[in-house]
Amino acid sequence: MSHSSHSEQSILEVRDIAKSFTLHNIDGRTVTALSNVSFTVNPGEHVSLAGSSGAGKSTLLRLIYRTYSITTGTVNFRLSNNEWVDIAQLSDAEVIAIRGREIGYVSQFLHAQPRRSVIDLVTKAGISRGMSASDAREQAGISLNRLGITSALWDVHTSVLSGGEKQRVNIAAGLISPPRLLLLDEPVSALDPENRERAIEVIADLRDAGVAVLAVFHDLDAISRLASRIILMSRGQILTDGSVDQVLPQLTPGDVQP
Amino acid sequence: MTLIHVPAPVLQVRNLGKYYGTFDPSMIERTGPENGTARDSLTGSIIAAWDVNFDVAAGEALGIVGESGSGKSTVLRCIAGDIDASVGDVRLTPLDNGEVNILDLDPSARRQLRVNTLSVVYQDPAEGLSMGVTAGGNIADPLTAAGWRNFGAIRERASELLSRTEVPLDRMDDIVRNFSGGMRQRVQIARALANKPPILLLDEPTTGLDASVASGVLDLIRNLLEELHVAAVVVSHDFGVIEMLTERCLVMQHGRVVEDALTDQLLEDPHHPYSQKLVAAART
Repeated sequence: MSHSSHSEQSILEVRDIAKSFTLHNIDGRTVTALSNVSFTVNPGEHVSLAGSSGAGKSTLLRLIYRTYSITTGTVNFRLSNNEWVDIAQLSDAEVIAIRGREIGYVSQFLHAQPRRSVIDLVTKAGISRGMSASDAREQAGISLNRLGITSALWDVHTSVLSGGEKQRVNIAAGLISPPRLLLLDEPVSALDPENRERAIEVIADLRDAGVAVLAVFHDLDAISRLASRIILMSRGQILTDGSVDQVLPQLTPGDVQP
Repeated sequence: MTLIHVPAPVLQVRNLGKYYGTFDPSMIERTGPENGTARDSLTGSIIAAWDVNFDVAAGEALGIVGESGSGKSTVLRCIAGDIDASVGDVRLTPLDNGEVNILDLDPSARRQLRVNTLSVVYQDPAEGLSMGVTAGGNIADPLTAAGWRNFGAIRERASELLSRTEVPLDRMDDIVRNFSGGMRQRVQIARALANKPPILLLDEPTTGLDASVASGVLDLIRNLLEELHVAAVVVSHDFGVIEMLTERCLVMQHGRVVEDALTDQLLEDPHHPYSQKLVAAART
């Protein structure tokens, strides 16, 4: 892949991607979830995806992470060695190799394995991104404290936590030694105001760290405080892609529904 | 051109196949998922597994999922040498740097691989253990086969393995037949790990255990896989097991691989009709 075809600054270049699902067990019908989607994200940029329920926001995040296969189109990603790869064409083993350190994904729900302690989970996430065990353990403690998960909870199994606690542990694990591109799918949806504030501050810091963020939030306040750009989607397509000042006034409460 | 560093495979499986009965090349296209059967109507032969290909790297676990009779255990047993594969090429990097197709080795050389290169944990502990022998004795077996002679050292290694697999040390000299199912499975895992094999094959390792016991054994396997950096193959009909232990997996039906995918992708976006049916069933 030649360098000249890519922007000098960008980290992610999505070109005309589409996703359809063939439902073999429901009369074999094909459902198109997303089509004609193209956009670019730069390091340090926080791009918020807005749009009503079913607009394709979560689908888009899952396609980039390859939890969904990409039906057509290219998802060019600039690796830390400055080489470009098309995520759509990577082998499964290559996807596994870039998950974590290069591309991270934090969903609305903590997808933790059962019977694993809070501190263990966050520490393991750091180790998987190349931190030493002792650094990861130390950083895990710092991250958890910052998100309001006090040490009394660190040795508790994640399964017994409340929804809001789980979500904060999820953020701590997703943001420890942050990846170069972070995909956030409603990461603060279950948080009370105080903890939501803590989480938003942590996410805001990513911009200074040069992390590219592509995020779905279900409230305008989070979008207006975090986003440097907004992509408004509808029915699996992009309606508008512009600055916060430009797009925010166009949003209706329905555009930030989960 | 590879821009992304992917760990080198430790286990490579190519075109692995096993049939029972006479072989007729045309029976391949008369069987498999499209025909809804592994049994050829003309010859009566059974194509238990065919055209199976995969790689597994150190520190990686590959899942093989499917219903009973799909051929997943056949694949595992052909690699282990419990049954003779009909065709195929299986290479292990620790053995002469992968220059040898282990399917061509004579039976004694195959058995030797089981001592310290490739271990199996079976669903039924009776397959992996001598039931009339003590827990310590079961672990001593592979150690003596690998040349250990010092009684004290063998006892020490056995107690180290039993404590790692959470078997109370005061049970070390008890006959394993007198152990509970979960405890037998832990002893089997300890025995499988005795000589630190670089390749570990697990065949339904928690199936048949009570739920709470199964989850404890599953946790143990998960932690061991993280710690030991082995190349593992996990055969299971249970998506919970596959999801917890693996990042990539194959789906088998009627002796063929119908889909290979990232495990999260298989669960969220299964492509093949059979995979969609399995995932839907697991979700209800």
